[in-house]
Amino acid sequence: MSRPFPYAFISCPCANIPVPDPAKKRRSRDSPQKSNPDKPKPLLPPDDEDEQTFDPRSPRANFSLYPPEQLLYCEDCHQIKCPRCITEEIVCWYCPNCLFETPSSMVRSEGNRCARNCFNCPICTAPLAVNTLENVVTGGTSQQGPWVLSCGYCMWSTLDIGIKFDKPTNIRTQLSKMTDATPSRSRQMSRTFGDLKSPLSTYSSIDEAFLPPGESKPEDPLDQPSAPLNPDARFNALKNFYKNQISATSSSPTDPLGMDFGAGFSSPGALNRIMSLYTSSSRLSSLYGGANKKPKTKPPVMREALTAGEGLKVPSPDAEDALIQRMASPDCGWDGLASLEQRSFQSPDARFVDDLLPLPVLLRTKRSKRCKSCKHILVKPELKPQSTRFRIRLIALSYIPLPTLRPLNPGPQQAATVLPTPTAPGSTTNPNLDALSPLRPIQLLLTLKNHMFDPVRVTLATPSVTPGRVASKVTILCPQFDIGANSDVWDEALQGASATTTAANTATPATATTTDPRGSRSGGLGVYEKVAEAGKVWDKGRNWTTVVLEVVPGTLPGGVKRTLKKYPANELEADNHPSNNNNNNDDEEDSNSDSDSDSSVALDWSGQTSDPNQQLQPDEDVLEIPVFVHMEWDSDNQIDQEQGVGVGRGSSSDTVKRELAYWMVLGVGRIMREVV
Amino acid sequence: MTSTPSTTAFDDRRPISMSFRNSQSGRPSSPHTPQHHLRSNNSSFASTSSASTSFRGEEDAIIFEFGSRWLRAGFEGESTPMCMVGCGPEESRRVGDYRGWLKSNNETDTSHSRLVKAEEWTGAYELWDMNLRDLDLALVDDKIERMFRETYNKYLLTDAGTSRLVLVLPSIIPHPLLSSLLSTLFSRWRFPSITLLTSAPMAVTAAGLRSALVVDIGWAETIISGIYEYREMTVRRSTRAMKSLLQETGRLLTRLSNDSEASQSADEISVKFELCEETASRFLWCRPKAVPQGSTEILEQQPAESDEDDVETADKHTASLSDETVSLPCPSGSGTTYIDIPFSKLADPVDKVLFAEGLADCELDDEEKPLPLLVYNALLSLPPDVRGTCMSRIVFIGGGSNIPGIRQRILKDVASLIEKYGWSPVRGKVIEQQRQKLQSLRLSQPQLPTVTKQEDTNEPSDSGSEKSTSEPQEDDEEVDPVEQKIRRNNKDKDAKPPVQGVLREVESLGPWAGASLLTSLKVRGLVEIEREKYLQHGLAGATRDLEMHGHAPDRRSGLRTGGDRSSWTLAGWG
Repeated sequence: MSRPFPYAFISCPCANIPVPDPAKKRRSRDSPQKSNPDKPKPLLPPDDEDEQTFDPRSPRANFSLYPPEQLLYCEDCHQIKCPRCITEEIVCWYCPNCLFETPSSMVRSEGNRCARNCFNCPICTAPLAVNTLENVVTGGTSQQGPWVLSCGYCMWSTLDIGIKFDKPTNIRTQLSKMTDATPSRSRQMSRTFGDLKSPLSTYSSIDEAFLPPGESKPEDPLDQPSAPLNPDARFNALKNFYKNQISATSSSPTDPLGMDFGAGFSSPGALNRIMSLYTSSSRLSSLYGGANKKPKTKPPVMREALTAGEGLKVPSPDAEDALIQRMASPDCGWDGLASLEQRSFQSPDARFVDDLLPLPVLLRTKRSKRCKSCKHILVKPELKPQSTRFRIRLIALSYIPLPTLRPLNPGPQQAATVLPTPTAPGSTTNPNLDALSPLRPIQLLLTLKNHMFDPVRVTLATPSVTPGRVASKVTILCPQFDIGANSDVWDEALQGASATTTAANTATPATATTTDPRGSRSGGLGVYEKVAEAGKVWDKGRNWTTVVLEVVPGTLPGGVKRTLKKYPANELEADNHPSNNNNNNDDEEDSNSDSDSDSSVALDWSGQTSDPNQQLQPDEDVLEIPVFVHMEWDSDNQIDQEQGVGVGRGSSSDTVKRELAYWMVLGVGRIMREVV
Repeated sequence: MTSTPSTTAFDDRRPISMSFRNSQSGRPSSPHTPQHHLRSNNSSFASTSSASTSFRGEEDAIIFEFGSRWLRAGFEGESTPMCMVGCGPEESRRVGDYRGWLKSNNETDTSHSRLVKAEEWTGAYELWDMNLRDLDLALVDDKIERMFRETYNKYLLTDAGTSRLVLVLPSIIPHPLLSSLLSTLFSRWRFPSITLLTSAPMAVTAAGLRSALVVDIGWAETIISGIYEYREMTVRRSTRAMKSLLQETGRLLTRLSNDSEASQSADEISVKFELCEETASRFLWCRPKAVPQGSTEILEQQPAESDEDDVETADKHTASLSDETVSLPCPSGSGTTYIDIPFSKLADPVDKVLFAEGLADCELDDEEKPLPLLVYNALLSLPPDVRGTCMSRIVFIGGGSNIPGIRQRILKDVASLIEKYGWSPVRGKVIEQQRQKLQSLRLSQPQLPTVTKQEDTNEPSDSGSEKSTSEPQEDDEEVDPVEQKIRRNNKDKDAKPPVQGVLREVESLGPWAGASLLTSLKVRGLVEIEREKYLQHGLAGATRDLEMHGHAPDRRSGLRTGGDRSSWTLAGWG
């Protein structure tokens, strides 16, 4: 995983709601999309999950798991919202390079790219700088001379493709003029752009455009096979051609009505003649007077493009030989050919590095986000591109408890911090989470921190054996606990002991007096002498609670090979199989199949098996624990919300019971191959 | 993008020329045309005023072309898609998983090469597989949703779901897949309507033609469709396509990287897919070799060194190329080491996979015919008139058509097939014997075969209007009165008859550009699925009534979408 261990992902509950296929729900009249937007029942996902544990390794899981900080929360639906269950509206467009805002009317015409001087290197995508070629400092400041775009990272510059600019401003217009109109670059290219023309210039005048076809014959493709238009110009030529054809073939007297109506009405004959894909032959019917349409004037049939000016391109047979020659030549080589990534935004003809043009920077957008089901705004950024502030931002972390995980050190905790660090420096006993040894139990502290102003009752559930082939045993020592409200720190200090007695039932007195979790961890002597006990909360603070997870990492397929050398076989068996059996006995049905198959495969742990099923799949050695979180809280009604926690809790008539349930995935670490 | 100045200039002028033309032709009674074009132009150049965005109908349609690996997206009226999005493992990582950016650090982890079955090796990079048996449709939904969302947010930079959507799809797509695609799009965003267009006719449109033989060398299969007047007449498929080509390249690289341990089973690949695809896209090429020609059987090993001048020059190329070596990044190394490999070796996978080199015809199944044979068969199955039209309009699309030299090679091979068999589907030893007997009876000089050979290989390479094979020659002699009458009746005195009967390639801008072209001309496809209708019944709501198509000429009277909005059809997909 890219994130350092340990980490936590949260699965948005929307993944469990399948995309409704309207065809299947045909009998139910109401459209399934209008599923009650006010309150999707939070209990629905757990009902589904009764049959199915969340498998963090399934390919679909990747699309529903999000880091907690990326999730939003809809206050009206009382539901977590991931990028899939929101709709977005663009607030403004801006260039990430120069931070200029582009007005919405200009965005499309500029091709969604910055129209100023911002360019990316076509080779390495680093931003390009406008530099002058001649550093003539004549008379102080004047830097006259041709200008180039150059990359500070890979030293590419537009000189490599033979482009210089006259001015240091408006580079993009200069560049597009150059690439569209002049064949200056084509000297290196295999095909000449000699006849590169703007679409209009294919017809030098209007009269020429409507020459009878016989007269335009001289420029038919046979005579000038080596004068292809570039794709852009060809496209415009084709468009031009089709428009002419449509207007030429649709000028029947029945049509003038058409203009009064929409596009669907005007000159239908012509439109259909060009493109009625699946209707019966319009050509024949018009030729032979089928369906007695337009009996007086048989309109000319749309013809196909005949000349290069109309967009036809007949490639010359030896066009590609030169390409092949160039590919094979020693001065081209691997680096002379453009990579797929480099080609992705270039002209489709670009094959060599020399064909690549500097790319204007893609614009970015600021978007406001709405809940998809109730349309309430969840995120609204400020309009200005420079501002990073938000007017509205309902992030999920202020509603759901923030999970953090860290290993529990059996020894003295000189280096423990609230922030989980995979390897705390200085403590040798701290388990290295990047190399967990299989079958050795480790204890982890899972801290859930509440950001709501209401105390929350949390129930955690986890399959006792993680899904997948690497079956690790997981036990949450205290699966049900309360988290205190995120009351004001001063409030709590003033209220003193009364607040803690209501919130904590199993808390130790040491934590009750401390308001800072850091203080309770690092300072309290009693902490590290504690032993994790089943059914007891490990630690508890003002708005957080820590429980202990006990994890026995499973063995990897093919991972025990070295231990087979070390230990006699029966010892390993004694080590391995009883534990497996224990698993299966106290398991639910869901994980049985997994561990069963696992133990059956276990006979052939040779590590070098050619059977790919036995080989380790990528990331299969990552120990990830799916945990089902169910939280319940009494929230105040909206009106009373300002009054604070102490008042709301007492009067039960004002409160609404809310619950939220979701899956979360805790990434513990990577399991080592061999048993130590 | 870069072309916009010119296009806007063009747009400003367009109406003027139109009206000018109208007055010229003495028909001022049709002032609707400039209006029409004005409107379409306005809308295609996005809204000089922001007010126009509020009119939903005026907004530019957004065109998506779906392949099994790439998604191309962009706005109507543009020549190239805005972006091309893949759906490899890198794209289907978790949000917040930036492993792809940490490649240098992870090198030690990932570089221990694992052997992967060829199918899995490529399978991870596919959006879907047409074989739905093992396909998790929900996963496809997820992928499509993410691809669309990211496309909109990153590249299209417009609000998703506000404008019409045009999908360019292959002409055969399984209904579950289509249904899940449409359901995802309709339920996730509020697209008012989705128009479906087939890719092959779009490619024809983008070539400026009305009929063509479209050779789509795609990912999973090569699809050859004969299009006549925008209608699909015949479709031939072969599994010899880019997927197996990449697998073969992967095997080649695997062999290169570890020829010491050659004991690996042949189907497994240890090279990274990205490297292999990179290599394939950069360096794969195709020999311009002429296949065994005429009645002479196999002289494959030394491909006709001194036979004909054309092939000779080509062979000179290959001869010079065969000495060349190119250096590729070492498939097993970390990217800094290079290995040298003869350039000619990089043509082998193409020969082997796409042209079935070294395999006798009889060993091939129906679904794995080599491409030239497939093209020939497709042409053969067309009616003669259509065949004559299509064979001189061969359009290559798909990723495979970018391999340098492949188009000419296919054309040459087809030409030699035509020369060998004529247009007769009858094969067999006996027939061959009889033919030879007849030949030897008819002409006793043995030089003739080579002479005809020479003609044949020369002429397609000229790619002109010269007639090459026997059929067009007959065409020349034959005076068809009906044809002439039609031509006379055609008012545009098109003195030049359409090119016919010659093997000729026409380049297309691709299906995406075709769809963009059509949509910008405000031509509506027959399959236009409206949101409300779809949400009621799904795909099952489509009218399967083929009568609809039968009555289509009547419906063209102007109200195609007017009265019968209640029913929609899936047309070819139904």
